[in-house]
Amino acid sequence: MSNRRMDKAETEAIQGVLAGNRDAYRVLMDRHFCSVTRVAFRITGNEADAEEAAQEAFLRAYNKLPSFRRDSTFSTWIMRIAMNTAINLVERRNRDLSYHAPRIADEPSVTNHTVRIADRQAGPESILLNREAVSLRRAAMAELTPMERTAFTLRHMEDVPMAEIASALNVTSNSAKQAVFRAVSKLRRSLTPIAGGLR
Amino acid sequence: MKHFSEEDLIAYQLHESSDEGSISRHLESCSECADLSESIAETLRVFSAEPVPQPDLERNWQRLRSNLSVLTPERRGFEFLRWRWVWPVIGFATAALVLLMVFSIRIHRTSETRHNFAVNGHGPLTTQPNDPAIANHLDAAERLLTEVNNSSGSLDDTTREQAHSLLLQNAVYVRNARDSGDLAEAAVLENFGRVLTTLDNEPPTPHSTWRLRLEMNTSGLLLDIRILRQNDDHSQGVAQ
Repeated sequence: MSNRRMDKAETEAIQGVLAGNRDAYRVLMDRHFCSVTRVAFRITGNEADAEEAAQEAFLRAYNKLPSFRRDSTFSTWIMRIAMNTAINLVERRNRDLSYHAPRIADEPSVTNHTVRIADRQAGPESILLNREAVSLRRAAMAELTPMERTAFTLRHMEDVPMAEIASALNVTSNSAKQAVFRAVSKLRRSLTPIAGGLR
Repeated sequence: MKHFSEEDLIAYQLHESSDEGSISRHLESCSECADLSESIAETLRVFSAEPVPQPDLERNWQRLRSNLSVLTPERRGFEFLRWRWVWPVIGFATAALVLLMVFSIRIHRTSETRHNFAVNGHGPLTTQPNDPAIANHLDAAERLLTEVNNSSGSLDDTTREQAHSLLLQNAVYVRNARDSGDLAEAAVLENFGRVLTTLDNEPPTPHSTWRLRLEMNTSGLLLDIRILRQNDDHSQGVAQ
């Protein structure tokens, strides 16, 4: 997400779409789909939901393109739509208890829709430690609200400036900052039982 | 010795602190704060970025393309209507401004005699254990109200669907707050419920969001929700 102005190719692509050429949208998708999916993955925590959120975001952006005022770049705009879409998806998933997207787990299970990432190099001890670490991280992240998770992952993992996170989440910079601080505080407390010395 | 709060140290570790120099000097001499700071740094290391799978662009494009309709530029046919509505809008805005001033004077006078925790935000609204889901609900409320406060024109379908879903949840939280005697929280959530009911029932028009902002003082409500959110965090922190 950058504040640079849109280049000629993107401006032309938007004009093309507005003139009725839907294939012109491919230019925008090629440029931004990966970064949008990446951010959606940070928010949703799994690949299937990340792609669904990115698809939905690109579709919403396409339908809103006639009203896109171009006072921000397309990348900032699509990222903002994607974050909101991903947050809404997480909230929908939380409400719909019957839904289980494929998630990383200790053991793969068809009934639970879980998969395991193979690591052929690891020894038994590191496998055990990795499993425990993944479970603990997943459980701790699940305790965060979607907004806290989004603000934290974007700030800490994607290194997005606080002002851009605030703008994308449609909240004030201070609210975004507080959401990150709350997230770190909650995550630290979640680790306390295993870390021993952490207070 | 003055210690730094956890929040200060988190800001320091994330390089968001405006006081990095003095925190750094303090950490050299205070083992208590240094331990806390190290535990925050350890947390950040544990939750460092993991690799993200690459999406299949071609497959995603084919899937998306089948859902794309052929677009035409938005028609700008409101120039004549705009001028026709100027005077009624100015009249309505003036009346609303006068009403807002009268209300703000009344609220100011009331706050001098009756302490309102929800508006003034002094201390936690409750000392009872909180339902963790309320934090999520308040986050969603904050985002929705910010959208209402910043949107020009009518809200999109997704936001309206979100309002509908929040309305159902909000009724439960209002009842919980009333049952637990938390009247300030109940009052703020009831006001939020009125906004949601309006969003859910009124047909979207180019002026509906703007009217909602004026009639229901959504900016003031957003502030109350933020205070409620902070107090909720504070009381959870105390409970831990």
